[in-house]
Amino acid sequence: MVMFPFFWLLHMSVKPDQDIMSFPPKLLFKPTADHYLALWKTDFRRSFMNSAIVSVSTTLLSMVIGVPAAYALSRANFKSDKQLSLWILSSRMAPPIAFTIPFFLIYRYLDLLDTLPGLIIIYLTFNLSLVIWMMRTFFDGTPRSLEEAAWIDGASVWGSFLRIILPLSAPGLAATAIFCFLFSWNDFFFALILTRTQSMTAPVAVVNFMNYEGWEWGKIAAGGTMVMLPVVIFSLIVRKYLIRGLTAGAIKG
Amino acid sequence: MFICENLRPINLTMDRIQVKSKPIKERAFPAPRETQTLSQSQRRAYRLYLFPSLAVLITVTLAPTLFLLVTSFTPLNLTLPDTVGDFSRPLANYTLLLEDQRFHNSLWVQVKLSLATVSLQLLAGLAIALLLNIRTGFLEACRTVFLIPMVLPPIVVAIIWKVLYTPDISPVLWALRSLGLPAPSLITDPDLALWAIITADVWEWFPFTMLMLLAALQMMPEEPLEAAKLDGAGTWRLFLFIVLPFIRPALLVSGLFRLIDSIKAFPLIYILTNGGPGTVTEVTNYYVFIQAFNFSYLGFSSAITVVMVTATFLLSWWIMRIVGPKVEIE
Repeated sequence: MVMFPFFWLLHMSVKPDQDIMSFPPKLLFKPTADHYLALWKTDFRRSFMNSAIVSVSTTLLSMVIGVPAAYALSRANFKSDKQLSLWILSSRMAPPIAFTIPFFLIYRYLDLLDTLPGLIIIYLTFNLSLVIWMMRTFFDGTPRSLEEAAWIDGASVWGSFLRIILPLSAPGLAATAIFCFLFSWNDFFFALILTRTQSMTAPVAVVNFMNYEGWEWGKIAAGGTMVMLPVVIFSLIVRKYLIRGLTAGAIKG
Repeated sequence: MFICENLRPINLTMDRIQVKSKPIKERAFPAPRETQTLSQSQRRAYRLYLFPSLAVLITVTLAPTLFLLVTSFTPLNLTLPDTVGDFSRPLANYTLLLEDQRFHNSLWVQVKLSLATVSLQLLAGLAIALLLNIRTGFLEACRTVFLIPMVLPPIVVAIIWKVLYTPDISPVLWALRSLGLPAPSLITDPDLALWAIITADVWEWFPFTMLMLLAALQMMPEEPLEAAKLDGAGTWRLFLFIVLPFIRPALLVSGLFRLIDSIKAFPLIYILTNGGPGTVTEVTNYYVFIQAFNFSYLGFSSAITVVMVTATFLLSWWIMRIVGPKVEIE
């Protein structure tokens, strides 16, 4: 029940066109790579690259900005901790449309519509809060005695953070980065509204096959498979941490 | 905390807290290290780490939200240049909201969608979590499989269900037809379209509630269960009076998370029904999208969004009150 719809899409992507529409479904057919080859000749290739560039850049950016902040929040007992956390959580929870309207207007003015930097910036709205939220629970779990020992030995706050805490949190860092990547990669809504042609991302490109090219199901299935491929691979890698990431101020673009 | 059981860092936190909770034994030793006060320079360093994030968050979340609030007081329409910065009737959009039938309809659709998906996801999630909790050996393998719908790109989920709902190519509808059962085209039937969306949404997100509830179940101490069994309580009573009260916070939090997310529902509706037929699947979020980017009524749609943001903010605040900003151990 759970897996059937998923496998059906996979099998459609390698099924010859004439068999897709034939019923009863032919379960034995000669698998073909035609759909993938046809797909790769279209603009889909550029969209796929766009998706990769945007997701990687926004991930790096939000990690660099967000990880030190998460560390500070975990260690410093700021007076306004509660309010800060509420702000971070609610910016993660806010409906994307709330950011889309003002960003659309501002980007029109700044000429950032349909550009990759435009997308990278708007993805910070959810990624930065995700990094802070997730990394904070990791840092809360690393004992303070370690860096306090380093301070006694004369290390600075920055030095002990870089040399002791970060290496210890490597699994958390990796998991968080993969989540940022996945959420940016999966985004459909922002990309749909803020891009046109030049910087269209893969999910939007796949949907465009539905609207304009007369329902080429084979191609749509192949495109869908390509879009989910990195997601499935990365999810398997971070299986152990999936639960935390998916529940830390959940999801969805 | 129940969300993140069996992860190593959390266990470390637990040890720390257990140490704290045994004051009599520990009294002979010096105060725990973490209570040491921070020096001025350390405080300054922490503030410095926080600063870039705050600056970026203010720029990308707070400023746009304020901008949204400002536009909601204007009749902004990109096709009419005069409407930019027209504050002559600041509350016009909001009074319009009170009269707009289509907005009211969208709220009603939203309520139906949210109630149905959240309750079905909690039920399905709880049922499967209970099953998985019994067969612990079986668990690891199953978990990963069950996660798949949730991690797939929403757009791929939407495509998958579009295939299953489209009569020409759907294996499910074909199977129904060949069994002689009615096989209606779900997404074009006004009575069934919303259910088609609900089904797909439940499939996509029941793993979330399942994971949260499974985590809570695994945190449950054995003793009360054993004691109740000795007293002769049946399975049903065990569940009702011991298990259910224990996982109540997890139920509430996962329900709230899903509720907030259901307000954002977009890709499924966009791909499967486009809000139709008519407006039967047009939730508030989708209505805003149409008003803003099909009709260009940006002022009016900002006003609706302000209402939505307020709702999600209140729900987040509620979650924060239950979960708290830190990882807590019950």
